[in-house]
Amino acid sequence: MSAILECKSLTKKFSNFTALSNVNLTLERGRIIGLLGPNGSGKTTLIKLINGLLVPNSGSLLINGKLPGTETKKIVSYLPEKTYLPEWMRVSETIEFFEDFYADFDRKKAYEMMERLHLDSKKRLKTLSKGTKEKVQLILVMSRKADLYCLDEPIGGVDPAARDYILNTIISNYNENATVLISTHLISDIEKVLDDVVFLKEGFVTMQSSVDDIRSKDGKSVDTLFREVFRC
Amino acid sequence: MLNKLLKHEFKATARLLIPLYLILLAFTIMDRIVLNLNIFKGVLSIIPGLITFGYVISIIAVIMVTFILMIMRFYKNLMTDEGYLMFTLPVKSHQLINSKLLVSIMWTVASVLAVIASIFVVAAAPEDIREITQGLKYFWEELNKEFGGKVLLLIIEFIIIVILVLINSMLMIYVSIAVGQLFNGHKLIGAFAAYIGITTVLQIVMSIFIFIASPIFEETLTTFSSIPNLVFPITIFILIGLNVAFYWVTDYIFKKKLNLE
Repeated sequence: MSAILECKSLTKKFSNFTALSNVNLTLERGRIIGLLGPNGSGKTTLIKLINGLLVPNSGSLLINGKLPGTETKKIVSYLPEKTYLPEWMRVSETIEFFEDFYADFDRKKAYEMMERLHLDSKKRLKTLSKGTKEKVQLILVMSRKADLYCLDEPIGGVDPAARDYILNTIISNYNENATVLISTHLISDIEKVLDDVVFLKEGFVTMQSSVDDIRSKDGKSVDTLFREVFRC
Repeated sequence: MLNKLLKHEFKATARLLIPLYLILLAFTIMDRIVLNLNIFKGVLSIIPGLITFGYVISIIAVIMVTFILMIMRFYKNLMTDEGYLMFTLPVKSHQLINSKLLVSIMWTVASVLAVIASIFVVAAAPEDIREITQGLKYFWEELNKEFGGKVLLLIIEFIIIVILVLINSMLMIYVSIAVGQLFNGHKLIGAFAAYIGITTVLQIVMSIFIFIASPIFEETLTTFSSIPNLVFPITIFILIGLNVAFYWVTDYIFKKKLNLE
């Protein structure tokens, strides 16, 4: 099987700056990968390119060997850093919505997680706090049986207790061949679940390595290494 | 997938419009009743006035809300944070446009029909119905006299024009919103500017067209038959051209130049 994600000399420019420069990146299947970098390093831009919300200026990006489009959207489960569910909907209606559009959505799993986090599915989203909305979104996204999960800052807004549950959900709820790409700067919290890390700095990939290699070669945690690499 | 988009689009809009139609229905019935009762005397005589006032407001509200809701829905659902949800669904961007367009047209027609029906219920007496049918008959005869065998063609062309104008007014707003979102941080202002820009350009182009075309068609335009033979076909042709252009630009921006914040 081919790699789940392949970027070749991927470049994305905006009118006044270059967000990604000549990025070459291959992500294998069955890995949990941390996409790490300071604010403005191009993490969100890369994730938006994967999800077809942006189009690259040059270079190529293939998901499961295909250009981003309807076919790739069927196998990519995306959690943006935004609260993107319509406010007027009830939680149960958002579940119906996902069920209608994604063939790989598992409604039973979604309700199980909702129950575990004590979320009332009859409530309307506008009555929920920001953190609770984020939980709902994460549950929806993780209830899909996707090949690639793109989670943009998934734990930023939720409390540490829920954070642990969510991370457990992420690692226990995906199949062997699925890859999870997590963008964050809260490294110490997620370090223990990561297999690989990709460091992004000012639009360049500065390092791609397995976490085990970092620990054995450098004798450091990813968090420590990150602080050294990105020292201000 | 278009079916599913239509279903959810309908759900999202019906929850606001159906209650409004019910309010209109309530005022229609109340107004019909009070206008036929002559029991309000003294201070109470203000009641029919108040109910009629509420009735008129509810008519205006149905038309205005339909129009504004269709625009707001397009903007909010596709260009704000909700766009992250909609544009990552496994659907084509033109299916998103189609679902919005079809549901908007459906509601516009529904609202116009609801208002017409309501006015009938409030104002029409049996003899009015007879008068209206007679009027229509007279109108039909006059049309036949002027246009001869072309009446059917004229009416078909007219219906096509009405549908195309409806689509046109929606697509012009869609394309303006799509162009507007290219302006970082000024998306709404951008949309207004784009709308004004498009209308201005169209007006200038139309004026030039009429200026050039009128001497050419001067003779043919003096007869009634030129309407189904020339004026309406040209109008249809222009409207189709504009609609294709607006649609294509909107879809192109959604595919290649999406700029969600």
